[in-house]
Amino acid sequence: MTIISPTMSHPQAENQGSEPAPASPPMRVAIIGAGRGGMALLDVLHQISRIQIVGITDQNSSAPGLTRAQELHVPVYDRVTDLITHQGLNLVIDVTGDPAMESVLREEVPAGADVVNGQTARLLWVLVQHESTLQTELLHAEKLAGIGSFAAGIAHDMNNPLQLILGLAENLTDEPDLEAVHLQAHDIIDAVKRTTAICRDLTSYSRRSSLRQDCLIGVGGKLDEALKIARYAVALQDIEIRKLYQPDVVVKGNPDELLHVFVNLITNAVQAMEHHGTLTLETHAMADATQIRVSDTGSGIAPELLGRIFEPFFTTKPPGKGTGLGLYNIKNVIHHMNGTIGVDSQIGRGSTFTLTFPSESGADERTTSS
Amino acid sequence: MSEFKSGFFVGGESCNGRVLVVDDEPDIRKVVRMTLQKAGYDVLEAENGEKAIETINYGENRLLLDVIICDIRMPKVNGIEAIAYFRQNYTRVPLIVLTGFPDTDMATALLRQGVVDYLVKPVEGEKLKASVARAMEQRELAHL
Repeated sequence: MTIISPTMSHPQAENQGSEPAPASPPMRVAIIGAGRGGMALLDVLHQISRIQIVGITDQNSSAPGLTRAQELHVPVYDRVTDLITHQGLNLVIDVTGDPAMESVLREEVPAGADVVNGQTARLLWVLVQHESTLQTELLHAEKLAGIGSFAAGIAHDMNNPLQLILGLAENLTDEPDLEAVHLQAHDIIDAVKRTTAICRDLTSYSRRSSLRQDCLIGVGGKLDEALKIARYAVALQDIEIRKLYQPDVVVKGNPDELLHVFVNLITNAVQAMEHHGTLTLETHAMADATQIRVSDTGSGIAPELLGRIFEPFFTTKPPGKGTGLGLYNIKNVIHHMNGTIGVDSQIGRGSTFTLTFPSESGADERTTSS
Repeated sequence: MSEFKSGFFVGGESCNGRVLVVDDEPDIRKVVRMTLQKAGYDVLEAENGEKAIETINYGENRLLLDVIICDIRMPKVNGIEAIAYFRQNYTRVPLIVLTGFPDTDMATALLRQGVVDYLVKPVEGEKLKASVARAMEQRELAHL
């Protein structure tokens, strides 16, 4: 299986990784300061496989970056000196803005490790925030581009109830039977409700993902929601859908972004089957990890392309049919959730995309979104 | 009183012709049936292309079916595949497409293949009846 993991430090990535080893060892980075700047750095650097964040620290134990670090399984240090004397450190990034920190770093940082602080660190923070904004914009742009392909499905689902409404209304103009009038009026009301539900689903899906709204997400419910959306993009009538959901499987992340991930994976799977085959959606909660699998019985992906499918602008679809950003954005969302994405594929047999996330305990204590 | 239409007697009752409505949505079949029955047509239904092919090949339908109204996006055998079958095996039965998705290229291709009309839902009853009436004229001309 080809696994794309966010960092080399991720325990599951080490166990599963058959991704080619990088040419040089990852840069080992320590972050001092876990406020907005430290957290922004953590979020972006964490996604880069060539960077290993060895730890983060902050004087304020309730700094938001420390909570985020725990979610990402990045070590949190109580003392600055314990962190910066870490074996094999390459770079210390100090985003505290505290002049006193400079002398500590000068004395304690071992030879061979560089320090970025002051205005340079501030510049780095600004660049990282810019990168983070671009990623969010790219995700939204790709989602809107995908909605263009919904036209046929939307037209089908809107025009069918409209035909019913028009036909019944025409009939009512000269329907003498009062009971029939009542029944047909109710049919019209139901048809209007179906039409408005389509608008509601699509309006909700096309909205910009809300920033920093990570919560626990019921995976089965989100997969079902994605199926409803995906059917606008691809015809599901002749696809057998197998749902193998373990109950109460949850992951932590942004519900809008995870929905987008599922819609993309399901759409790709159905397109690979050319409208005939079996789509399998599976969820598994294990002791230390949660897995979600989206499998198809379609054409499969050539082995020489497997390593490239997560690259930006890589697509095997004809011009105008795909942006080449779908799987790239999926990878970014999954990495943001501290997960990994892997793919198994056989030509002529189909493909399985496996998403693996750290298991979430204490689900009942926090907000859950389905 | 029996009536002679399209060169055939139909069921011993007054009938302007027999129409097969092929659509996966029962609601659509229901309103099309309602509209056409009021206009004096005998209406048969099929929920997809496969059922439509079964229906047209069943008993007297082989001879008595006058018009087919067919959707495009359907499970199993879709509209395009079903229309290709009808064009090949029942060349004299006029076809009307009634679809939820307007597609100019598809409409042009189907009209070139001899489809009588390409109607996009929602279509008014009068327009649907006029289209069926045109198809009936074509059907009767085919028997001359």
